[in-house]
Amino acid sequence: MDGARASGGRAGGGRVRSRRRRGGFLTPPWWFAAPAVLVYALVVLYPSASGVMYAFTDWNGIGDRSFNGLDNFQRLWQDDAARGSLTNTLLLTVAIVVVQNGIGLLLALGVHTHIKSRAVLRVVFFTPAVVSPVMVAFLWKYVYNPAPDAGLNGILGAVGLGSLRQDWLGDPSLALWSVAGMVVWQFAGYSMVIFLAGLEGVPAELHEAAMIDGAGRWQRFRSVTWPLLAPSVTINVMLSTIGGLKLFDQVYAATSGGPGHASETLSTVLYKQAFVYGNYGYSTAIALVLALFVAAVSLVQVYYLRSREVGS
Amino acid sequence: MSLRYGLRTFLLELVMVAAAVAFLFPVYALVTLSLKDKQQLAASPLSPPTSPTLGNYSDAWSRASLGSALLNSTVITVASLVVLIAIGSFAAYFLARCATRLGFGLYVLFLLGIVLPFQLGMIPLFKMVDSAGLLGTYQGMIVFYTGIQLPFTVFLYTGFIRALPADYANAALIDGAGHLQAFTRVVFPLLRPITGTVLILNAVFIWNDFFTPLLYLGGSARETVPVRIFAFVGQYVSDYGLVFAGLVLAALPIIVVFLVLQRYVIKGFASGLKG
Amino acid sequence: MTTSFDRAPLSRRGFLRLSGGAAAAAALPAVLAACGGSSGGSGGTLRLVGVADQQKPLDLLTKAYTQAKFSTSYAPTDQVQTSVRTQLGAGNAPDLHVVYPGNGSAMSMAQIAQAGLLADLSDQAWTKRIPDNFKPAFQLGGKTLIYSAGSSVIGAIYNKKVFAEAGVEPPKTWSEFLQVCDKIKKKGKVPIALGAQTPWITQLITYALVPSTVYAKNPQFDAQMKAGSATFANSGWTQALEMYLDLQKRGFFNDNPNGTTFEQQTSMVATGKAAMAIQVSAVLPDFRKAATSPDDLAMFPVPGADDASQVWIPAGVVVGLGVSARSKNRDDAKAFIEFLGKQENINKWAEAVACVPLVRDASSKIDPVLNPFLPFMDGGKAVPFMDQAWPNAEVQPAHFAMVQELLAGKTTIPKGLAKLDETYRKK
Repeated sequence: MDGARASGGRAGGGRVRSRRRRGGFLTPPWWFAAPAVLVYALVVLYPSASGVMYAFTDWNGIGDRSFNGLDNFQRLWQDDAARGSLTNTLLLTVAIVVVQNGIGLLLALGVHTHIKSRAVLRVVFFTPAVVSPVMVAFLWKYVYNPAPDAGLNGILGAVGLGSLRQDWLGDPSLALWSVAGMVVWQFAGYSMVIFLAGLEGVPAELHEAAMIDGAGRWQRFRSVTWPLLAPSVTINVMLSTIGGLKLFDQVYAATSGGPGHASETLSTVLYKQAFVYGNYGYSTAIALVLALFVAAVSLVQVYYLRSREVGS
Repeated sequence: MSLRYGLRTFLLELVMVAAAVAFLFPVYALVTLSLKDKQQLAASPLSPPTSPTLGNYSDAWSRASLGSALLNSTVITVASLVVLIAIGSFAAYFLARCATRLGFGLYVLFLLGIVLPFQLGMIPLFKMVDSAGLLGTYQGMIVFYTGIQLPFTVFLYTGFIRALPADYANAALIDGAGHLQAFTRVVFPLLRPITGTVLILNAVFIWNDFFTPLLYLGGSARETVPVRIFAFVGQYVSDYGLVFAGLVLAALPIIVVFLVLQRYVIKGFASGLKG
Repeated sequence: MTTSFDRAPLSRRGFLRLSGGAAAAAALPAVLAACGGSSGGSGGTLRLVGVADQQKPLDLLTKAYTQAKFSTSYAPTDQVQTSVRTQLGAGNAPDLHVVYPGNGSAMSMAQIAQAGLLADLSDQAWTKRIPDNFKPAFQLGGKTLIYSAGSSVIGAIYNKKVFAEAGVEPPKTWSEFLQVCDKIKKKGKVPIALGAQTPWITQLITYALVPSTVYAKNPQFDAQMKAGSATFANSGWTQALEMYLDLQKRGFFNDNPNGTTFEQQTSMVATGKAAMAIQVSAVLPDFRKAATSPDDLAMFPVPGADDASQVWIPAGVVVGLGVSARSKNRDDAKAFIEFLGKQENINKWAEAVACVPLVRDASSKIDPVLNPFLPFMDGGKAVPFMDQAWPNAEVQPAHFAMVQELLAGKTTIPKGLAKLDETYRKK
């Protein structure tokens, strides 16, 4: 039934358009959008637009400033540290998008069954998503305590997996992935809920028909469930990509970009340039590039994933 | 997807419960440590507390003066949600039903807000809030959260409304109702599921936000829970039991709201995020 | 808790705008001056933003000050830095806000004063008593621009019980220090807890050693750095970092220092798992809170040289307060600073944060654990924390990152110091 509504939605859109051509009066008046546009322009658009100006200045954030043209962008182009942080940002984002959504999907498939604990489990897996990311980072710094008898290492030791103990946040080759693990823990339940939305839209009759045709579990997943999950995949991938690319609180609270610069991301560099190093103009240039980058990536993604949806 | 509760389902149940237990370990650590005094913490931090104490909780409550902060957080969160849902759903209805370039352009403009880093407009916005005399007030925060969360809200509502048949509203319009009536009486009630989603996601963001209230409310009598909690954490950073009790106290209200609303929320997601 | 006075400055601004007239604006300073000058009268409400470490003394002293009402807020350093710099950048700073002494960080006296945003305090009586060697921390261009109650030292905070169990005493030379560590290690305890996951912790061991390896031999080092005739790489900095890494090589640190946080370091020493931590005395209260009994802990100067007479120590002015130059309540705010400058209040602040008072009198109580440091401070063998003389805010974070990379074996001392020199020369 839900699936029918989803497909009916697209048809419905068409219907509105054709009626509009005939009548026009069915479109709500423009002033429906006016308050929202006004507040949005006031709080987001206007300040952001006037903030862009700083990207073309040498402002330190508190003193006098003068325009320096494209110097900041040139500097960004040559900045090795910024380039390293771009690589980290991409790695972190890919890890989060793949693992968070992978686990989210498995959890969704697991609780979208007849198991007795399904209602409780849905709540359990989603709850971390409602807690403040900074608090989660604070808690996970305890979990990631490198001492062999504390936190995660302590548990690994207790269940006989002592050889897997790690210096989670202190090992430069591991720190970034430990941060990713923390983010995945917090938001896997979020992905799960969105996938559940998709799963509940898969009509049971389709499954039954496939079962009668003798399709196995995996085949049924491949040919029935997965294609119909496409809209949930789109939304999950898009949200986790934007979240990953802009990720700041968790990284900064957990590692401040360290050890060394091993877990530095574009957002932590942006923050440090603005408020720690006192290079506000330069940081604005980074913010601008980050925004354009996120916009470009999400546009490409939505375009690609949507085309997949139509094709299915 | 067998309908019977067979062995396979039982095994799956075991696996899922095991996953949940592993998943809950950080929460277990949080709660256990918060229930122990210093001696117990030093002796065995992670074992279940033998003589649990709520001393950390009462200390955290009074030292972080959370009473008034809870009120402030509640007022700001609830008022922002009301405004957000009201103006966000109206705007989304227009955007979803307006097939002109203007409608599409506005929609894209709202989506832009999702990708913009908030640092970009931070200083100009602070100047505006200051010159409007809104520093240290509820109103300033409510306008801020409404603006900053509108893109996501409009995005969620628009997706949902697009998937909704226009027939009901059209029938009302043909029956002679105005657009305002058609929306509030007919369309808005149909939006209930996505409104649940919008509500919880925005509530979580607003309740947990730390930096903006520190900037706009710091030092005033309007400080929110995260502001007080982090001042407290900064001061008692080496006292795990106390700090973790503070973190539990700060997170508890939003978790309780979520637990009360959870059925509604997850259902809302289920029928709301069709894209 | 603060009360309805909180909104007073806002409504005053609102009133100003409403009446719109230059007359009102012109009248305002006079009104404020009257408020500040009247004794016992009700002054304005002063907005004060501090870091978490300042809450304890300021809670005490704002309560004791009757001439003004306060609206105060405190938060961890990073957040305060972000929030105050945003407010400074937007042209509406709090009347009183946290300022770090000297130069070298985004919230340091020199960086903010160069933007013209700190009010001159030079006409206040207490400023005449600032000891000469501390003047660079307080002054720029001959003007005093920051208030601070005293200085803290960097040394070893040690657990007396662990020392007693290992049968060792605080050492006087570097080789004795190594022997002490060795004996503690043989007892199965961690000699030195190091929480290098928390960035600022990384610098403390360098800072503890550099006074002996650099300044004891060349007190002019800072001036030569500024003039460009000295470098980190060709100085005692190399030796200090070699000593730092030697401690790691000998296994005197806990495992995985880069993954260990300040909180974990604190609890290791407080609970007796580790014998000591090289730390700044300002965190003594944190260690004491975590210990079963505060008397378990004491401090000694880290001897960075083998000749006891060549041992120097770091003693830096503690984080202070400045008055916003553009504050509409500037005179009220300055009056509060004048109040803080009274000897009794310097004593109170110093006692609350366990630091050595800026100037001492008979009533000054110095935390007894700091006694071993006083001969160095009074004998001219103390140098300010190194970053306070650095010309930009990037050198200190670069030092943090370098130490983490050294501990992880990701860079070498010459490479690290070359990069630090490069960062020093920026701008």
